[in-house]
Amino acid sequence: MLRTEALRSNRRRQNAPIPKIAFLAGWVALLAIIPVIYILIRALAGDTELWQRIIQTRLIKLLSNTMLLVLTVTAGTTLLGVSMAWLTERTDVPGRKIFRWLLALPLAIPPYIGAIVHLALLRPRGGLLSQWMEGINLPSIHLPNPTGFWGAAFVLIIFSFPYVFLLSGAAFRSENASYYESARMLGRTPWQTFWQVTIPAIRPGITAGALLVSLDILSEYGTVALLRFETFSSAIFVQLAGRYDRSAASILSGVLILLALIILYGEFRTQGRAQFTQIGSHWRPATLIHLGKQRKWGFLALFFTVLVSFIIPMGLLLFWSTQGILDNQTFTGMQIGSRGLASFIFNSVWSSGLAAFLAVLFSIPIAIYVVRHPGKVSRLFSRLSQVGYAIPGVVVALSLVMLVNRFLPFLYATPLVVVMAYVVRYIPQAVRSSESAMRQLSPNLEEASRLLKRNAIQTFIQVNLPLILPGLLTGSALVFLSSLKELPATLLLRPAGYETLAVRVWIWSEEGFYFQAAPAALLLVFISIIPLYFLLRREAIFKQ
Amino acid sequence: MFQKLLPVFVALTLISSGCAGTTSQPDPISFNENGNILSGKLIVYSGRSELLIQPVIAAFQEKYPQLEVLLKSGSNSQLANTLLEEKTNPQADVFITTEVFTAHALSREGIFQPYEPTGYQNLPDAFKADDASWVGLTQRMRVIMYNKDLVSQDELPASMFDLSDPKLKGQIAAAGSTNASMQAQIASMIQLVGQEQTEAWLTGLLENEVTFFGSHSDVRKAVGAGEFELGLVNHYYYYLQLAEGSHVGIIYPDQAPGEMGIISNATTAAIIQGSSNLSAARAFIDFLVSAEGQKIFAEGNYEYPLLTGVALHPDLVPTDGLSLAKIELAQVVDHFDATFDMIDMANLP
Repeated sequence: MLRTEALRSNRRRQNAPIPKIAFLAGWVALLAIIPVIYILIRALAGDTELWQRIIQTRLIKLLSNTMLLVLTVTAGTTLLGVSMAWLTERTDVPGRKIFRWLLALPLAIPPYIGAIVHLALLRPRGGLLSQWMEGINLPSIHLPNPTGFWGAAFVLIIFSFPYVFLLSGAAFRSENASYYESARMLGRTPWQTFWQVTIPAIRPGITAGALLVSLDILSEYGTVALLRFETFSSAIFVQLAGRYDRSAASILSGVLILLALIILYGEFRTQGRAQFTQIGSHWRPATLIHLGKQRKWGFLALFFTVLVSFIIPMGLLLFWSTQGILDNQTFTGMQIGSRGLASFIFNSVWSSGLAAFLAVLFSIPIAIYVVRHPGKVSRLFSRLSQVGYAIPGVVVALSLVMLVNRFLPFLYATPLVVVMAYVVRYIPQAVRSSESAMRQLSPNLEEASRLLKRNAIQTFIQVNLPLILPGLLTGSALVFLSSLKELPATLLLRPAGYETLAVRVWIWSEEGFYFQAAPAALLLVFISIIPLYFLLRREAIFKQ
Repeated sequence: MFQKLLPVFVALTLISSGCAGTTSQPDPISFNENGNILSGKLIVYSGRSELLIQPVIAAFQEKYPQLEVLLKSGSNSQLANTLLEEKTNPQADVFITTEVFTAHALSREGIFQPYEPTGYQNLPDAFKADDASWVGLTQRMRVIMYNKDLVSQDELPASMFDLSDPKLKGQIAAAGSTNASMQAQIASMIQLVGQEQTEAWLTGLLENEVTFFGSHSDVRKAVGAGEFELGLVNHYYYYLQLAEGSHVGIIYPDQAPGEMGIISNATTAAIIQGSSNLSAARAFIDFLVSAEGQKIFAEGNYEYPLLTGVALHPDLVPTDGLSLAKIELAQVVDHFDATFDMIDMANLP
């Protein structure tokens, strides 16, 4: 049956004229990949001598540093995420319903804020933790060095694991009890069943999650810069602050993009396979494993993870904020030029909001085209529009600075360029939500509407839009959340007087003014919790 | 649980945004010295640490409440790059640099326009552009600060070159290659002692496992807290740390006869070619070099004011008591390419 359907759609494609929506979708795909193409051209056009010098001096170290961090963090998030999901979904550990929420909340804390807290606590001698230990006359234990590779890996793991936690939680939830029972009846031990039945069933979901995490780590700037572990993203920043020439930065960006595109390609390939965990009509939830005496260890593992990834950072931010707000001098220190905290909040919210709206708007033609006219071209367009996943913020910024200044000088140094960067970078999230929303819609509805003499636009507005709206809102919440937390592109592209919460948190804490930075950081987290709450409510594991 | 907490978050957000104080209120008309109205926006790019420039901007803002000062602060050289990029499409009115060489290099590229502020003749010639395209604001010294609890008086290094002594391995903090003061120091040393010796000094620092931070504020706090014995900083960072109550000391290096002397530098300000609010930009430069502006730098930041007649902070050692290195501005600027090559080759973080 599948084959005849494929044949039919094939024949239709050959005869039918190119649908109008294809042109719109093509424009979106083009807009999404221009920055990448521009940087790649700039990189290739770089001086051979410069290439040689970069290869000799920086490239090997950057490649090994970056790959080491990506691999370690991906492995760490997978391990932590899957075990947390297993504990809350499959065992009778106490308090697991509340833990499901608490474990997802670190998504509201950008890793660089986590890194600030981590550094403030763990600095040798100057750190809060060592001061406190001295204060109560504890024999000074040798604390691990908070900076460098292990510091960066630790911070990135504890603030990125929720992605994997949510995905594997959903996979654990949807796995059918009957598989597990069959395996047990065939004589497998619980441990064998876990490896031979459960893990293969949840693997595609986890692989996709892990690959997205690794793309995130590739583009992470704040954490690695603060903890002084040099990767491509931070090295590009260093180049931008060096000699009066952007070629070296372009070359490093080109190499970084190639690296990211390879990972993104892998992610595209696993995506198609990620769908064999489906909840059929015979689905029953798997029975819980009784941990017995081990329950307290399970509870402690969950509690410790929440403590480190949410309670401690929030606690410290709250403490600093009260100190900052109580101290009048610090409070007046929150004024930059003639702008204050209110302007930072306003900028953060409106630019992220506009980016969310535009990203979703642009994602609609892609979604309609790829769902209603499946084929090689539409799939290509859909994937091109998702290339943003692979462009780190610093690279988006670099290419937009050069492109806009050259071709759209009137837009240069306006906040709209910042919004453009958010759209290019995060439109993939909107494309994926819109596509999956469109897929759930039967084409019969549109055909009926067309029979009733509605044109394509009327049909879309009156029939499709109301039905895919929840999906579109999911996409916009995702883009909003990501844009709110975005740091490197905002830092580079912001016009004078345009400061967002993320930028303020960064500049203040880079100079060590934690009391000023904390209220802005706290506000950033609180505002992030609103779209995050909306997104989490739709997650499988939070539905009863 | 979340339905209950959500209103609390929203309320908190609103409260904190409400009491945060908004942008300046439009006040009665503000005039500059010539009686012209100053209004609109003044866009300032500043490579200086924000904390060191905000007080003087706040004071200027108070004088001209109708003017809206928009500050973009960032890394000195990154902003210089931005200005070059914006040459055909200028956005900023004024650029404040942390050191002279950037100003000189940008002036060569035609980024600035000349202006002689009020009291120009009272500023030392050494810190003025030949074509008046930039003007020096304050002077500062490259010094070594130390933690008095960790180092005893007789163990102190006396020269920059002592920092590569293996005895001090792992005990030194400095600012990294993105920091303009550090870049300027390397370029100055190339002129003073030659390329070879400078390179040896730099590799010596790296072999000595010096920790390189992004900013000097980090360095001074780390030395103050006792994370490091020594820190390579500009002199005022020592005084700022001292003012926070830390037990720190200062070394003016290379003072013996025949040694290169202390490396000094100056912060500068310049008006951008194509500035769209020239009268405000000029009034701002006037204010920066006026006795009132210079006093803020001297008292609040412990910098050496360049305007004659403005008193030094009482804790500072006067410049005539120091042996200063003889730096040739134009020569040093020519060494900038070599500096960046050296930074690349040494892989300075």
